[in-house]
Amino acid sequence: MPGRTPTDGGDGLMATLANRIDSRLRRGNPLPTLADANEDISRPILVPSWRYAALLSVVIAGVLLGGAAWAWQIYRGIGVAGINHPVGWGLYITLFVFWVGIAHSGTLISAILYLFRSGWRTTINRAAEAMTIFAVMTAGLFPLIHLGRVWYAYWLFPYPSQRMIWPDFRSPLVLDVFAVSTYFTVSLIFWYTGLIPDLAALRDRFRGWKSKLYGTLSLGWQGTVREWVHYRRAYLYLAGISTPLVLSVHSVVSWDFALSIVPGWHSTIFAPYFVAGAIFSGVAMVITLMVGLRFAFGLEAYLTEYHFENMAKLLLLTSLIVGYAYAVEYFLAYYSADPIEQESFLWRARGAYQGPFWIMVFCNVVVPATLWFRKIRRSIPALFVISIFVNIGMFYERFVIIVTSLAHEYVPSGWGLYTPSWVEIAILIGAFCWFYMWFLIFAKLLPTISIAEVKEHLEHGKEHGHAEAHAGHPGEYE
Amino acid sequence: MNTSEIAGVIAQYGSMDSTRDAILTLREAGFEDLEIYSPIPAPDLEEAMGIYHSPVRLWALIGGITGCTLGFLLPAGASLAYPLVTQGKPIVSLPPFIVVMFELTVLLTGIFSLFAMLVHARKPKLKLAPSYRREFSVDRWGIFVPADPGRRAEAERVLGETAALSLEVTA
Repeated sequence: MPGRTPTDGGDGLMATLANRIDSRLRRGNPLPTLADANEDISRPILVPSWRYAALLSVVIAGVLLGGAAWAWQIYRGIGVAGINHPVGWGLYITLFVFWVGIAHSGTLISAILYLFRSGWRTTINRAAEAMTIFAVMTAGLFPLIHLGRVWYAYWLFPYPSQRMIWPDFRSPLVLDVFAVSTYFTVSLIFWYTGLIPDLAALRDRFRGWKSKLYGTLSLGWQGTVREWVHYRRAYLYLAGISTPLVLSVHSVVSWDFALSIVPGWHSTIFAPYFVAGAIFSGVAMVITLMVGLRFAFGLEAYLTEYHFENMAKLLLLTSLIVGYAYAVEYFLAYYSADPIEQESFLWRARGAYQGPFWIMVFCNVVVPATLWFRKIRRSIPALFVISIFVNIGMFYERFVIIVTSLAHEYVPSGWGLYTPSWVEIAILIGAFCWFYMWFLIFAKLLPTISIAEVKEHLEHGKEHGHAEAHAGHPGEYE
Repeated sequence: MNTSEIAGVIAQYGSMDSTRDAILTLREAGFEDLEIYSPIPAPDLEEAMGIYHSPVRLWALIGGITGCTLGFLLPAGASLAYPLVTQGKPIVSLPPFIVVMFELTVLLTGIFSLFAMLVHARKPKLKLAPSYRREFSVDRWGIFVPADPGRRAEAERVLGETAALSLEVTA
């Protein structure tokens, strides 16, 4: 947003605005104004509705269920979970990897597309960034849950102690602590920085306690040129550092597996394979959430088929990369001439976990292939259904990678199966509810679309002519 | 500029272009100490005001270098303090430490950028400037020209020649 020059793209938003202008012309109101954007986006904020309250109650009940299951596990010990020898990493680590992956597309949309000056990100970046933060908050719970004795979690951090013991910095598990905590902190800073001007707009829109609340959160922002100049710089640098960060985080997570000698894990393709999968699953989750927001808050004028088609293209691209990675894994197993590796991969497709494996292939490769058709890419109900399939498929992908590899290692005496216990299932439900709870709270308290960015594009369209803006222009870097 | 104690003239504009033209006119007339309000990022207005650089870039660099250095010293120091050979690797093994160096570089660049932005933009601020108007966060651009009674008439005259939508004199 900040740092954008008047010749930037913004064709996506302009397509949106073209529809909006047309509808306003029909109503005898010639042009949308900056005040319209202010009003349209901030209208749902802090407005009570029984539907919202009902939905929030359901997810809070889910969170309580998950919390109760975790409390039971802490009380009785980790034995109440299904993880045991030889499958020591089960649903908890599956969900950790899944949720870290979900987080990734938020940063992709907010940072990488910002640096590439992709105008269509404008209306979706705020919610995608929020999704990133809530997904990392969800992911961060699972190493703690998996630890069993959660009160020893601080052992992961390097600190001087009387025992003079330090963590092993050669272990990817310790590197993961740095990667995930850095990712969370930087994503939070990036999101908050983008929110500051919008919080000031809300402060000025409301009166009374609401105005005070948003006034405090906006830190007294006034939009002076002297503020904007520092703001734009900070935002640009945050986007710049978030870009390699997003690629590094899932790479480090993948090394939790790849640095071991477990067949099925010990692979050099894991980092790009995991990053592509992460973006794939994250884009699917953005689509799922955006469809919900669009209908719930009447944002059809801002979240158009154009935006969903672009997300569908990203989904198709990453699906192809993920499908290619599945094939390459099998080729590498064949080409390695290592019978253990070959057996491991054959067992994935034909053994006890063939169900999850084929669900994974169907959901992640077959279903997204329908996106080759433009009609499907522009159909929001179809995209919603496909995004749900991809969410399910990516969950199973993490499960297949983690569980099938551990269940079928080198010697038959070390083989064994894993079934999640009710505690793990309850925590799984709780985790999804935890994520949606935060997203629902966000959607009611903060603008789900960046007001300042939308106004920037409106102003650009007004000054440079609608037709010109609609065509879009290549952006320029500062 | 501390606008809380200065009297002057506030002009409101309906577009970035008209605000930019007004700034140039004011600066030509000798009014340099202006406060400009914009509801959206305003590179054009920065240029008109002659503001090209922000010290945030320097702080981001300092943060990055500090993070990178700490990212090496922390694992190297911890490994030397507890010298346990694992996986046959040297005690100070650079390749895995690069991950920590990278993460801390990013972390401190981000934190330094945020704080540098807040400090240089003089945030947080409890009270808004008296020259600030609610419209400046919605759809209006504003120029506040601090002027003592001697120059106020001249400021009003110059602003009157611009495309200002409204003029307001503050005492």
